[in-house]
Amino acid sequence: MLLESRDLTKAFGGLVAVNQLSMTVEKGTVLGIIGPNGSGKTTFFNLITGMIPSDSGKVIFNGEDITKLRPHRIARLGVGRTFQIPAPFSKMTVLENVMVSSFIHTSSMKIAKKKAWEVLEKVGLDEKADFQVLNVTLEDRKRLELAKALAIEPSLLLLDEVMSGLTPVEVKSAIHLIRQMHRQGLTIIIVEHVMDVILSLCDRVAVLDYGRKIAEGTPQQIVNHPEVIRAYLGERYRARS
Amino acid sequence: MWAGLAQSWNIIGGYTGYLSFGHGAFFGVGAYITGITMLHLGLPFGLGLLISGMAAALMAVIIGYPTLRLRGAYFAIATWAFGEMIRQIATILEITGGAFGMQLPAYLNLPFFYYLFLLMTGLIYLTIYLLLERSPFGYKLLAIREHEEAAEMVGVDTVMIKIKAFGLSAFFPGVLGGIYAYWVTYIHPDSVLGAVITDFMVVMAFLGGIGSLWGPFLGAGVVQLVNRYLWLVWGEGTFYLIVIGAAICAVVLFIPSGIIGLLESQIFQPRTAWKEIRKKVKW
Repeated sequence: MLLESRDLTKAFGGLVAVNQLSMTVEKGTVLGIIGPNGSGKTTFFNLITGMIPSDSGKVIFNGEDITKLRPHRIARLGVGRTFQIPAPFSKMTVLENVMVSSFIHTSSMKIAKKKAWEVLEKVGLDEKADFQVLNVTLEDRKRLELAKALAIEPSLLLLDEVMSGLTPVEVKSAIHLIRQMHRQGLTIIIVEHVMDVILSLCDRVAVLDYGRKIAEGTPQQIVNHPEVIRAYLGERYRARS
Repeated sequence: MWAGLAQSWNIIGGYTGYLSFGHGAFFGVGAYITGITMLHLGLPFGLGLLISGMAAALMAVIIGYPTLRLRGAYFAIATWAFGEMIRQIATILEITGGAFGMQLPAYLNLPFFYYLFLLMTGLIYLTIYLLLERSPFGYKLLAIREHEEAAEMVGVDTVMIKIKAFGLSAFFPGVLGGIYAYWVTYIHPDSVLGAVITDFMVVMAFLGGIGSLWGPFLGAGVVQLVNRYLWLVWGEGTFYLIVIGAAICAVVLFIPSGIIGLLESQIFQPRTAWKEIRKKVKW
């Protein structure tokens, strides 16, 4: 087991965003998290990465309690994440953006540059390495998000809606990319609204609603789960499939 | 001296994106500590300078630990309050001579100070070049300026890096303050802790172009020249402050990247520059 959350809870004022959420992720698997807007998916990511402190509960990564650690420490342990809205360092080049991540393991400019290049090649951004981030498209920014997360050489990767805003063709190549990373042994958690992505990539799927987990299982179990259809997928989706 | 001061401010204000309005305090602290170590402890000048720099840096670390969590205007206000606090303390303490100030042993050797300032400024620019333009530290600072959370998420210890940057940006003014004190031989709270020193650092850095290596250097040169010229025209007075204020407004509004940015971009010909201005301002 690579990651486990135990009764994780976070409230913003009166709104309980994540409510006693227990989740486990096995090494080498892909877990999908789906749910309506505001159901606590991104908050769950923010709790795992330490970006916001939890009210109660625990996060255990690789057997180590990381609940109270600061985000950069968690990143060093091997948790990488992408932001739903790309958060690049705008006034730097694509390569420099990725180099910032590479510095996590080296303080040599040369090695960092070489490693950043390798990651850029992997995600298909190497031709745009010297572009200012301000001048690249949304798809490339999403790829850059991925590159930045990969450059810290994580063992667990959290992807927060990397597909949103992409055209179907772009989604296809992104799916291909994620599958490749998975084959190389990366454990991945995906938050996504595009069901095709979830169905084609995930080993297991968890469904959140109002901060609670209302269902968990294989993709096939999930799409036929009555509670999930009521809360998220809707009757139309069921009729279609 | 001013080029060095403006560059020091640029470390935290330009590269890291935290606008400090209390930086004059580090200059003043340096001046006073050099004075105190020489007068009361009888230490040599060089050692006094080193202690001054260290003391200013240490002070920045202590102040920075709580205040660097603040963002934007709040950080500016906090540092401004810190600067005022230091000035008030220097005015009431006995060891600083209170409002009367402090008289240092005179050392009348102008070339000595000239070369010392030059050496120190050169040292500052070299340090910045090596540490900020050519090393992981500089990349991390830029990352913090552009997106602090994202930087933290890829393993940058933002708190530590910010404190280091603040300490570094205080060390140099501390040393420069010490040299200045020995040069003018007489210091008092208004001369080395006045708000004008901070203002000039900020104005010079902004005018030249923040976040760049040569921007503050250029800005310091231009401001000093204009300052001298206005002084010649109008004599002693405060009118130049108004001109400087208007200039900084214009820079922030129309050329946020400063003179350096203008030189680097395509629009340095007057006609295209004018077109840009016409485009930006709604008549």
